[in-house]
Amino acid sequence: MADEIKKEPPANFKVTIDNITIEVTPGTTILNAARTIGGDVTPPAMCYYSKLQGSGGKCRTCLVEVAAGSTADPRPMPKLVASCRTTVMDGMIVKNITSDKVKDARAGVVEFLLLNHPLDCPICDQAGECHLQDLGYEHGKEGTRYEFKRRTFEKEDIGPYIQLHMTRCILCYRCTYVADQLTDKRVHGILDRGEHAEISTYISKAIDNDFSGNMIDVCPVGALTDKTFRFKNRVWFTKPVDAHRDCENPKCCGKTTLWLRGDEVFRVTARKDQWGEVQSYDGKPGWICNTCRFDKKKTTDWVTEGVTKINRHSVISQGKYEGLVMPKETIQEVLGGRSPRLLMDIHTESEVNKPTVHLSEINGPAHSDTFDEGK
Amino acid sequence: MARKLLLDKANVSGITGFEVYRREGGYRSVEKALKMAPAEIVEEVKKSGLRGRGGAGFPTGMKWSFIAKPEGVPRHLVVNADESEPGTFKDRYLMEFIPHLLIEGMVVSSFALGSNVSYIYIRGEYAWIPDILEKAINEAKANGFLGKNILGTGFDCEIYVQRGAGAYICGEETALIESLEGKRGNPRIKPPFPAIKGLWERPTVVNNVETIAAVVPIINEGGEEYAKIGVGKSTGTKLISACGNINKPGVYEIDMTISVEDFIFSDEYCGGIPNGKKLKACIPGGSSVPILPANLLLTTAKGEKRLMNYESLSDGGFATGSMMGSGGFIVLDEDQCVVKNTMTLARFYHHESCGQCSPCREGTGWMERILKKIDSGKGDMKDIDLLWDIQRKIEGNTICPLGDAAAWPVAAAIRHFRDEFEWHVLNPEKCLTENFGLRHYADPIHVPVTA
Repeated sequence: MADEIKKEPPANFKVTIDNITIEVTPGTTILNAARTIGGDVTPPAMCYYSKLQGSGGKCRTCLVEVAAGSTADPRPMPKLVASCRTTVMDGMIVKNITSDKVKDARAGVVEFLLLNHPLDCPICDQAGECHLQDLGYEHGKEGTRYEFKRRTFEKEDIGPYIQLHMTRCILCYRCTYVADQLTDKRVHGILDRGEHAEISTYISKAIDNDFSGNMIDVCPVGALTDKTFRFKNRVWFTKPVDAHRDCENPKCCGKTTLWLRGDEVFRVTARKDQWGEVQSYDGKPGWICNTCRFDKKKTTDWVTEGVTKINRHSVISQGKYEGLVMPKETIQEVLGGRSPRLLMDIHTESEVNKPTVHLSEINGPAHSDTFDEGK
Repeated sequence: MARKLLLDKANVSGITGFEVYRREGGYRSVEKALKMAPAEIVEEVKKSGLRGRGGAGFPTGMKWSFIAKPEGVPRHLVVNADESEPGTFKDRYLMEFIPHLLIEGMVVSSFALGSNVSYIYIRGEYAWIPDILEKAINEAKANGFLGKNILGTGFDCEIYVQRGAGAYICGEETALIESLEGKRGNPRIKPPFPAIKGLWERPTVVNNVETIAAVVPIINEGGEEYAKIGVGKSTGTKLISACGNINKPGVYEIDMTISVEDFIFSDEYCGGIPNGKKLKACIPGGSSVPILPANLLLTTAKGEKRLMNYESLSDGGFATGSMMGSGGFIVLDEDQCVVKNTMTLARFYHHESCGQCSPCREGTGWMERILKKIDSGKGDMKDIDLLWDIQRKIEGNTICPLGDAAAWPVAAAIRHFRDEFEWHVLNPEKCLTENFGLRHYADPIHVPVTA
């Protein structure tokens, strides 16, 4: 009651996640607390997006076990809870990878998410930076137990910039939150229900709005992709470079990642943080406008800052840029300890591909000048 | 003859009209309640032991006491008349034949909760009932029991009837609230619970039609008197809508002391099973609750007679028991196929899943397809285990209870009728023309003797 003297709540809540105890401010969700620890302890999240209000709770991949609710009430929670929408209490004990229940449920959710997914990664532009691929690799099981026809949808054109592939959609609702919270007028939403629920514009309207392109960035799968980049290149063949320009749009931060091949700008996206979300600048999410994203496709439009540091564990970071892991050299083993006889060293014959030049250390696109040591 | 509190006047001619209803003692509870303090009414309801009649059986008085009362924020009472659970039609009966009972209960409850604007959210398929309710509302208003300054006490209350658009999910209280706000009926993620942030982010109580109607006799007779009816924590009377293979399907008011056997076979209630058939199974509380074979339905695993009340029906947990649920009592005779029945239910939940969270969206369709496969004689033994695994992964992992409601019937069917599923797999052609029949499902259960 009001006149009761309330005990001052502790400034920070102590929470233990997989035996790691940290302190977070009250109101923090379990997921965000786990993100401050990082690594395996962080539950995967397919629908939660910290920059979109109201997101989360839907995909169920971030389910965790709460072994003790709080110091005041140490009872365990009866069901697994969505860590993205459950706030921590002081003294809460959470089990993520240390809980068999969680692992089992998560494998189940991955299976459900992939049930009707077409698995058309070889022709999907999202491949290589797809959260569903990562989730499948990390938490899924080999093979499928589903033997029925996968659900399909009638194809729909939602305008000149964004390609909608409804079959790939996992209904995370993020794009509808973008439409609600970023654009002036929402023209798309969810139609129908259950398995047949789909993202769509009502009566085939085109999505035409200054900030609509951001729904491509928030889409965790290949359901919404950039039409101007469609089938142009695989993401792991392009080189991400941070760049900026003075954008006329006051709501646009103008800070982007250019995806280059040589001098050619294949794609422009917002800059992403280690969780695959749009980066924040001074607490404000760095959404970009459609002009920056779709129309500025020349390196001269941009001031390049340097190679993008990709923290994400996707194949992009496994490529030639950062965090390169070399496979074990097996040839000597095969040859019984003998080194192969070199017929020709390419570097003595050719001026290109100097082994001393590391592509990942060049800020901006590589030119022939880069390899011309004479200059 | 058990006492009736809700339906005793249902057969009086003209009871749908205000005049007759009032003559028969209607609206006495409003006169009494408006002289009480709201907290006293909540206390009476608490004393009565009334439990929510919508399915979950949560104590109503406790639910009412949870409602937040921030200064300057309106509160709302919402009556859940989105009665969509297959097998359940008790609220329809109540609203259609004695609409004033619901309105009377709503006025009292609104006063107790401090709701000046209350709503009835009614399922779209009950297309003819909003007119009946609105007529009752207008009559109550004309006679001073509703509207501005009710009975000169200064309490204002308006009641609006809102029709749903035909979605089962809108019976879930937060989906109902979303739909009432004019949005897509997706369940909300809880917390916050409606008692804190419900309709338009205001404190809201959502109650079933029958629950609100039961407030009338509680106020008239007092909570303690009401609690004397029934047994244990199952107090008062409960409406049961009985259907399936019985001689007298319909809505019955029981006092929860009667045994399941008597309910099915006595002439006062269901009147036995037609054509001399034998009882095979029963879904005692609406389609979501676990199905029970005849032997476990009539006696508990401990060998006691099972009664028609919350505790007895759930005796033994899900292993050997079921639930009171919403009171949709579905009886299956020996000619019914449990596989087909389960498939029908799975198809329903697949069709009604809102599609918001992945386990329910994808899992319900998967279960239906596998059940269809088994039912059409194309099943495999491993399909039965797969079904079990799917339901296990849906249950408890979803936003709202629809996932559980879809998983339980499948789980119970496999748990108790696995032989029938296996028979379908082993007899792919025979199962299309013949029925598995009663077999051992009515055999007396072996009760282990304890020292």
